[in-house]
Amino acid sequence: MTALYLYPIWLRLWHWVNALLFLTLIVTGVSMHYSLHWLVSFDTAVPVHNTCGVLLTFSWLAFVAGNIWGGNGKHYLINIRTLPQALIAQTRYYLHGIFVAAPHPFHVSAEHKLNALQSLSYIGVMFGLMPILILSGWSFLFSTALPETLFGVGTVWIIAMVHLATSWMLALFLIVHVYIITTGETPTTNLKAMITGWHKERSSG
Amino acid sequence: MSLPLLSDTSPRLARVLTNGTTVFVVGLLCVLVLAMLPSAVSAVASDGSVKAASQQGLFKDDSQDCMRCHWMETMAYRDRETRKIVNLSIDTEAYSHSVHFELACSDCHARGYAHYPHRSSSADEDLQCVSCHEQHQDEGAPNLIGLEHEYEKSVHVTEDVEDFSCFSCHNAHTFKPAGGREPIAEVVERTNGVCLSCHEDLLTPVPKGHEWLPRPQAHWNAVRCLDCHTPVEGRVPERPSHNVLAAAESNQLCVECHTKGSELLSQLYNYRAEQEREQKGFFSRALYNESYIVGMSRNSLLDWISLIVIFLTLLGVAAHGYARYRAYRKREVSQ
Repeated sequence: MTALYLYPIWLRLWHWVNALLFLTLIVTGVSMHYSLHWLVSFDTAVPVHNTCGVLLTFSWLAFVAGNIWGGNGKHYLINIRTLPQALIAQTRYYLHGIFVAAPHPFHVSAEHKLNALQSLSYIGVMFGLMPILILSGWSFLFSTALPETLFGVGTVWIIAMVHLATSWMLALFLIVHVYIITTGETPTTNLKAMITGWHKERSSG
Repeated sequence: MSLPLLSDTSPRLARVLTNGTTVFVVGLLCVLVLAMLPSAVSAVASDGSVKAASQQGLFKDDSQDCMRCHWMETMAYRDRETRKIVNLSIDTEAYSHSVHFELACSDCHARGYAHYPHRSSSADEDLQCVSCHEQHQDEGAPNLIGLEHEYEKSVHVTEDVEDFSCFSCHNAHTFKPAGGREPIAEVVERTNGVCLSCHEDLLTPVPKGHEWLPRPQAHWNAVRCLDCHTPVEGRVPERPSHNVLAAAESNQLCVECHTKGSELLSQLYNYRAEQEREQKGFFSRALYNESYIVGMSRNSLLDWISLIVIFLTLLGVAAHGYARYRAYRKREVSQ
């Protein structure tokens, strides 16, 4: 039995606040987009979506700050040299190894808690999609301050499409994320770790 | 006003930054509190529009003579010819909040009121909004010539509606432009009330001529009649066009609102969003802006692609999970 303290309290708090905001934004966003009055009424959905969007901005800034000053940033540094090999190994494990009880190609340690696929997708999400989502969201809030058209097309429409496409991609990420965390030693190993902070495994890695 | 509020909290934030564990909670709480208090924030931001009594036209000497009678709510008479009640009372409260609050009665009603009772011919004064505004441009009266050009093209003029004038819709004693702290819903209700005061036949659940419009009441609570019944071209943000279109020429294209352009709505909603941001401050206005229109962000291609991709992902994830479960059971059995 090994136990690693991987997730400090601030990180867990951030994670679950972020998760709550995300779910609220998805539910209100979907009900606004498809005008699903039975899900959340329009008059409620709009201010709630706007508020959560602003809060998500602060949550994202907090994440960045935590990575810079909280020491969490090291998990997002990619080793370019070993990356292709690690990616292939990880993908092969998910497509084949996992079904034949092959050993996990990546071993969680205090220095490396994320496997290659994880760190790559988290970097894409947190430093790629999230800034686009946040910026396009703020542009919505202040659409009157923007030029009427951009390249001959309505600015608001361009922003709407960017916001929409990004949010769909993040929804995809959420689905895969929720599933992938069940692929630890037991289906709940990773979930428990994000609740208690301790990553526990029977066998040492 | 919300920006100073935010900067008030930032020294605290800076101190807390040293303590990594609580910075997020405090930061989020600050924003949350900020978001919950739009009315408090706006109350500070808005100007108290109470004007000094000395500036008010109704308190000037000769006006006080008029108001000795005309303040009474029951001040009215029945017209001998039309048999209609003509209301002669002046709502002092509404007048003092109107754009004309500085004017004394005699500034407009100049001739024929020296004697009491007034002669019936006194009422025939030919008050002209456009020319009066032109004369007093230097004193800040907005130029109405553009409005007059629009108005002359409107169905109210081209159809020769009897006795139609500015005063058919506008009461100079109460007139004030849409704005201030009045919520959009109230602006809509008030301006639509002007139309409906004559077009009474439209006061039915499914108004005549609007059968094609889905959820008519929902529309009427959010959109002004004028947003559809004036031309799309040549709109200015500050005021609706006075070129009121005939039913057949009015806009009936759903996509004029519910699509990327949203041209019909942009007038009232964009203008208000800008105006209110000035008054209420950055944050509260951003959170409570009303410029999102259902369908604006819709794109059927993108919608379909994303729904299909999401569905396939769910399917893939489910299949993967099921295969894992099967493999796990097989291993258990073989052991």
